[in-house]
Amino acid sequence: MPFINYYEKEIAFKIVYYGPGLSGKTTNLLCIYRNLASEVKGELFTLNTAEERTLFFDFFPVDLGRIEGYAVRFHLYTVPGQVYYEASRKLILEGTDGVVFVADSQPARLDDNLQSFRMMQDNLAGYGLGLTDGFPAVLQYNKRDCSGPIRVGTIEERLELPSLPWFEAVATQGRGVMETVNALSKAIIMKFQG
Amino acid sequence: MVEPFPKRDLQGMLRGLVVSSDSRLALLITRDGHVVAEAGDLLGVDSTSLAALTAGMFSATREVARLVGETQFSILLQQGERRHIHISLIGESTMMVVVFEDYQKIGRVRYEARKAGKVIGEALQAEAAVAKPLQEEGFSITAFREYALNLIDRLFEPKSPG
Repeated sequence: MPFINYYEKEIAFKIVYYGPGLSGKTTNLLCIYRNLASEVKGELFTLNTAEERTLFFDFFPVDLGRIEGYAVRFHLYTVPGQVYYEASRKLILEGTDGVVFVADSQPARLDDNLQSFRMMQDNLAGYGLGLTDGFPAVLQYNKRDCSGPIRVGTIEERLELPSLPWFEAVATQGRGVMETVNALSKAIIMKFQG
Repeated sequence: MVEPFPKRDLQGMLRGLVVSSDSRLALLITRDGHVVAEAGDLLGVDSTSLAALTAGMFSATREVARLVGETQFSILLQQGERRHIHISLIGESTMMVVVFEDYQKIGRVRYEARKAGKVIGEALQAEAAVAKPLQEEGFSITAFREYALNLIDRLFEPKSPG
């Protein structure tokens, strides 16, 4: 559920980037941040470990503009990907309006993708949210420039998922990043008050 | 557009708290990190980010409480060199953040925050009880979607690589 402040006339939507460790969630956020004009974005926070891995989350707000008298904003978050940060991931998903699952296309990471996706489904279910109920979600097959990337559709097939919008990306080069956030934002807007 | 709720003055309540506790600023935020109201000296303060980070910190503390056999820690205090933060829970889903400068006044901040929290909690409950869908207030969801989709295309415009 988006946050609606009737008195301040604000609507804020929460977008969360989820996925296994080192799949490129923070790289996606950094790329979006760089592509946006300074007047529409707030400060970017990254809560990292000493090794520059995400410890808790990355975050920045984006102003969409004023619509129907309301200032509309997206809050973008990532979760920490490493398996042992499960508790943090669950916390960050609280109140989310849509998720991008960033998959690592390297064949050796397929099991990590599947495990992470299952965790995401469990975490969402904990908040009463499910992909089969039309909860906005986009799958990003990242690192398409790796050697022998997994076939697009592999994750959905292996997990017997409903059909999800998907994008191929190379986040380090900015490929597919804006398309992904564009698609998820639109899905969230279409779901809003629907 | 008609006001959806009876007039409230959360900002006024927070302003009163800032004065009575001699604090720098006070924020009301939701558990998932959105600002509900703010008051005090907000110059140079990024309240959106402060809310998101504080909510994350408070959520983590709630889980820590659970791990040590507590339901939750209802108050969180961060002591700095010049500025300090007092965070208290109001009901199930709102937090009040008070930033103050004189640590000697922590007792006063606690007392005033507790007092204000009770009144604000009641105001929030009353507000929730009469909440109505946006459409009932003349908000056109069709127009909203159309404009929003358009703005999204301009904001998140796919860039060619390189």
